[in-house]
Amino acid sequence: MWRDPTALDLLLRDGQIRRAPALAPREPEPLPTGIPPLDAALGGGLLRGHLHEFVGPPGAGCTALLRAALASATSAGELCALIDPGDSFDPAQRGIDLRRLLWVRPRDFLQALRAAEIAIEARFGLVAIDLGDMCVLPPAKKPRGVIEVVRFEKKQVAPGAGASFERLRLPATARWARLSRRAEKHGAALLVLSRAPQAGTFAAVSVELERGRAQWEGRPGAPGRFLRGARSVGAVARHRRMPPSAPLPFLLPLEAK
Amino acid sequence: MARIACLWVPDLSLVAALRAEPELVASPLAVVQAGDLGGRAHVLGAAAPGVEPGQTLAEARAICPALTVRKSSPERERAAAQAAREAAVSISPRVEEAAPALVYLDASGLESLIGDERAVARELVAAAERVGVRAAVGLAASKSVAHLAARAAAADLTLHATRWGVGGGAFRAVMPEEQREFLAALPLHSLELPEELQQSLRRFGLQTLGDVARLPPGPLAARLGTDAALLWRLASGEDSSALEARPLSEMFEEGEELEWDAASVEPLLFVWRKLLDRLAQRLQARGLMAGEVLLKLRLSDASWDERALDLAAPTREVPSLLQLLRLSVESRPPPLEVRAVRICAEPVREVLEQMPLFGPRGASRTQLAAAVARLSALVGPERVGRPVAVDRWAPFAAGMEKFSPPSAEGVTASAEVPVSLAARALRPPRTAEVRCDDAGNPSLVIGEGALGGRVVASAGPWRTVAEWWTEAPVSLDSYDLELAGGLLLRASRELASGAWWIEAVYD
Repeated sequence: MWRDPTALDLLLRDGQIRRAPALAPREPEPLPTGIPPLDAALGGGLLRGHLHEFVGPPGAGCTALLRAALASATSAGELCALIDPGDSFDPAQRGIDLRRLLWVRPRDFLQALRAAEIAIEARFGLVAIDLGDMCVLPPAKKPRGVIEVVRFEKKQVAPGAGASFERLRLPATARWARLSRRAEKHGAALLVLSRAPQAGTFAAVSVELERGRAQWEGRPGAPGRFLRGARSVGAVARHRRMPPSAPLPFLLPLEAK
Repeated sequence: MARIACLWVPDLSLVAALRAEPELVASPLAVVQAGDLGGRAHVLGAAAPGVEPGQTLAEARAICPALTVRKSSPERERAAAQAAREAAVSISPRVEEAAPALVYLDASGLESLIGDERAVARELVAAAERVGVRAAVGLAASKSVAHLAARAAAADLTLHATRWGVGGGAFRAVMPEEQREFLAALPLHSLELPEELQQSLRRFGLQTLGDVARLPPGPLAARLGTDAALLWRLASGEDSSALEARPLSEMFEEGEELEWDAASVEPLLFVWRKLLDRLAQRLQARGLMAGEVLLKLRLSDASWDERALDLAAPTREVPSLLQLLRLSVESRPPPLEVRAVRICAEPVREVLEQMPLFGPRGASRTQLAAAVARLSALVGPERVGRPVAVDRWAPFAAGMEKFSPPSAEGVTASAEVPVSLAARALRPPRTAEVRCDDAGNPSLVIGEGALGGRVVASAGPWRTVAEWWTEAPVSLDSYDLELAGGLLLRASRELASGAWWIEAVYD
């Protein structure tokens, strides 16, 4: 019976077996950051296949949120890659399952983007780029109403300069577009920490943070005084599927070393 | 019944040259002995009409003026012979390497895996071509008959370029029932017999092995010696020598002699690229990856400069390996000019994993290994890995280990993770000028860029005096500082020198 190709048709016709409905492609589960209010504002967490930006000045808690996202993802068994051109990651702080974290310390911004691309292609669940210490601010906006004369000249290409040099001349937006497409193709959640917006419209989600007051314990100048932590305020300023959130207050206690 | 296969690479020097430069297949080619390319150099192998091994180069050029000439290369021949051996190992685990490019293997019982004897022989020819080698294969009941069958198959060899070298191999399978007939028809001049014995046999009017087999063995040995007795045994198909399968070296090697001494990295890159391509193909043909890679450079004083590549994970990705080779030589250039190159790879088994049927597809171990190798090539192997906290008193010390993540099976996600103010380490710590008030508390920080300002709040000092037993003792007072703009810093003052450092920014 099993070698008879018509047997399955007969069973279907008799109603002894039924054709299963086609499985609809499910939306991949987001990666929670482990901070309930932020996850709620993000619609469950970081979206797989999308680029997210955490933007804020030093002390606003961007690194704390990035570490929380890494801790949450690694504790769920996801493999994570941290691209850290500033070499600022401190493994002594608790929370992240370091066995599941690949730490890459590129030498410059271009290497960092290339390294992120490699990590995305290798299907890491969460790829974080920490640009917190790098000065990669976007070019200043030109004032409105200024007419600029642009002159086109044919450039003499040096002999031997090929496609590899072309890549270096790509504008920053093109690089972010490429990275965003890679993340979408391979299903990685891409998270960028920076001091000013970098990816522009290629970021599906942008979380902006502001510094709050530092929390000190004890009398100034007296023994036993210590830094308890800091407050900060964040908000989801842009989300491709959700409305902007209300301000989200964060209390960031300093972990005792 | 035992079945032995013989894989033989005739014209090894020619095949090795064409394996390295397959584009030369279309042109008349002669390989001459190493040394200068003077007219007296002898031809070792040729693929040109009228040119035969043993002729001088002047004679060969007179016959074929358009002849392309290459010097024989021991490195290339060594790699080609090793590739032929691997082709045999990929078919049967019991292999005996009788001589370079002459391999016997136990073909008994392969029918259930591959098919009949012709299919086994065909698969051997294909396996050799997969590693860029054109081979003649013989399959028979004994080693000597299998060798004779391979020699008979050599008459049917052709020559064409393949993606990885040269192809055009041929095979001859001798069934037990046709062995006598096969041996009887073999002409004696096609055997490599001693010249004296050849002449004696010719004087006796013996032309084929069949003629020898018809003679009585005793009188033949009495008149012509022990060589003739051995020849009679061969002609009668008697061969009691067993296959001596020995463990073979598991190092994959590819090498090349340079036409002139290389004094910089650029000319070496072209050579390395080709060697790595061939090495990767050989590894892929066996389903292996390079676990360790060794680069050997023969210098102009005939000494060897050896260096091991620091591979973060097994790989066979040529661009990554090429980048690592370049980094290795650029970081420590060889003391003299390079005359020959050899790349050795220690193979490890490729790990295949079952991906999940439902849910997002994660990274396989092979993908991870390749990614880590590519990242190592991009940023340097010392800058990629798993972060580890170093057991030291120095603030914010960090180390790296090999990235080898555990399986995610059985992991349950925790819904909420503790969020705390994180310290961003500054490596190396930034120097700063710090002014203190009358009580000795910091009041002003003058540092690089944004790392400066009036101190509005501070805590400390916390004294650390440790590691005085090492060459880098730690002796400092640490403070947490809040600057007027709201920036939170961890700063330290070295007790011995009084110098201030900013070690981290809280974020």
